[in-house]
Amino acid sequence: MYFISGTFILFLAVSVFLYYIVPARLKWVVLLAAGAVFYLSGGLASGLYLLFTAAATFISAIILDKLNEIKAEIPKSDKELQEKNKRQKKTVVTVCLILNFGMLFMLKYLGFSLDAIGNLLGKELSAPNLVMPLGVSFFIFQSIGYVIDVYRAKYRADRNFFKYLLFVSFFPLMIQGPISRHDKLASQLTAPHIFDADNLKNGIQRMLWGYFKKMVIADRAAVVVTTFFADHDSYGGAVAAFAVIMYCINLYCDFSGGIDITIGAARLFGITLEENFRRPIFSTSLAEYWRRWHITLGGWMRDYVFYPLSLSKGFGKIGKWARGKFGGKVGKILPTAMATFIVYFIIGIWHGASFRFIAYGFMNGAIITSSLLLAGTYSKLREKLRIDQSSIGWQIFSMIRTCLIVFIGRYITRSPNLTVGFELIGRTLNPFTFNFGEILSGTLLSLGLTSGDFAIIAVSCAAMLAVEYYCEYHGQLNDVLSKKNAFVQWLPLAAIMLAILLFGIMRGSYISSEFIYKQY
Amino acid sequence: MENNRKKLISILSDVCPDVDFENETALVDDGLIESLDIVAIVTEIMAEFDVEITVDDLLPDNFNSADALLAMIEEKMN
Repeated sequence: MYFISGTFILFLAVSVFLYYIVPARLKWVVLLAAGAVFYLSGGLASGLYLLFTAAATFISAIILDKLNEIKAEIPKSDKELQEKNKRQKKTVVTVCLILNFGMLFMLKYLGFSLDAIGNLLGKELSAPNLVMPLGVSFFIFQSIGYVIDVYRAKYRADRNFFKYLLFVSFFPLMIQGPISRHDKLASQLTAPHIFDADNLKNGIQRMLWGYFKKMVIADRAAVVVTTFFADHDSYGGAVAAFAVIMYCINLYCDFSGGIDITIGAARLFGITLEENFRRPIFSTSLAEYWRRWHITLGGWMRDYVFYPLSLSKGFGKIGKWARGKFGGKVGKILPTAMATFIVYFIIGIWHGASFRFIAYGFMNGAIITSSLLLAGTYSKLREKLRIDQSSIGWQIFSMIRTCLIVFIGRYITRSPNLTVGFELIGRTLNPFTFNFGEILSGTLLSLGLTSGDFAIIAVSCAAMLAVEYYCEYHGQLNDVLSKKNAFVQWLPLAAIMLAILLFGIMRGSYISSEFIYKQY
Repeated sequence: MENNRKKLISILSDVCPDVDFENETALVDDGLIESLDIVAIVTEIMAEFDVEITVDDLLPDNFNSADALLAMIEEKMN
């Protein structure tokens, strides 16, 4: 079922209606049933993968919980039993990780790996054709986070399989997250929320904002991107740069718009989800950008990959070795830098099985790691040049620099392959192939949109930036609006609805595209 | 104990010079220290106090204030 469809709106309205009319003890059952309908509308096979992950993680967490109970009973002096308990817990969590990440590998990376191996060996190796379940990376990461938290005894395991299944399959999260934590979400899902007009209003407002970003901006910008990349050899570097800028707009409005719809839909049931974006355009460094973009994936990587790696005995030994070899500063930073590099590399390949994403992860990891290792040098350089880091000028420069790095990265991720990505970057940077004249000669109007469409994108982006600027420096716009009278509260929303109707639903011949992050 | 506190504040201020570790009580919750700082702080604490801090100890409650950190360190020292 597609978020941008009358069927989804009808399905959501019926689910909300049923949720509030059934007795309190059955409310969570309505959410579970709605999830089953939503998920199985994509086919029975994909439902089986979700059930497998839910069952494997549910059972693992219960065994780990039992082992945690046993551990609490073992006297601290009994090192042998403590060690045995630790080994048993590690075995359980390892089996669970292998089962789930093995399934993810089989679904997402097996074809790519066999292709690469086949190319090396000069043989044709093909993977079985498997149905890619909806949101597979999202529900596996969410469930694994839960198992690791129970392993760390952060909280107790869920004892009711169906309530746990609701945590894994809550339908607004199924398309593209956010990747939620059990301790923040599960109790909300099973709590019997009573009808609250504010939740309804806030949910609808947030959804409308998401639909505006997706239907008015993202889907329009997507036309330019698709047209350009279908025939990228026919254009110069300036048009390539323009298409990649359109892709940046497309990707941000598509993903963050989809998350707005998700958060708004959950709010209709009285459920508050974690935010997944914090205005990444205002990032002053690439590391900060990744703390503001897809926040829940970054948080997952931090807690379950970065910390365990950084604080592992192996990395500790490397740190000690580096201190002896290169001195204190490098020794201190090296383990953190290595863990950082690995995290960004994983984030890159999380996006897909392709050399493009491997290169993208490598690029992010290399830039952030080098900035860690060279932090001292940069600091001295700034001192010499008398640069005040807190000045507005430096802040703006840093934001533009971050945007440019992200922009270069998007050439790689959107191109059909790595070679084309590098070739297009070269075409843009080379003054002889940049060909700015193409922009002036009206080539942009051959990319599938009219001048009116471009004007709509420009005005809508300006409105979105104004809202984001306000939220970044003055606080949530919603809080301000909620203190005004009903007319003032609903006026901007009426304008957004009108924009969605005129420039989204009743637009030209192109149709709404799927969410980009749905494929991940 | 007072000696340990001084040593800890010195480590913390070395990693994040702009943060008021004497008075802040929501270091993680308010985003005053981030993951890279936490790893740097943990590495320094392990070396200076000769204690083992594992990933299981990385709870916001243990890192929200200098006093919470000190309590965790002293528990491990004993």
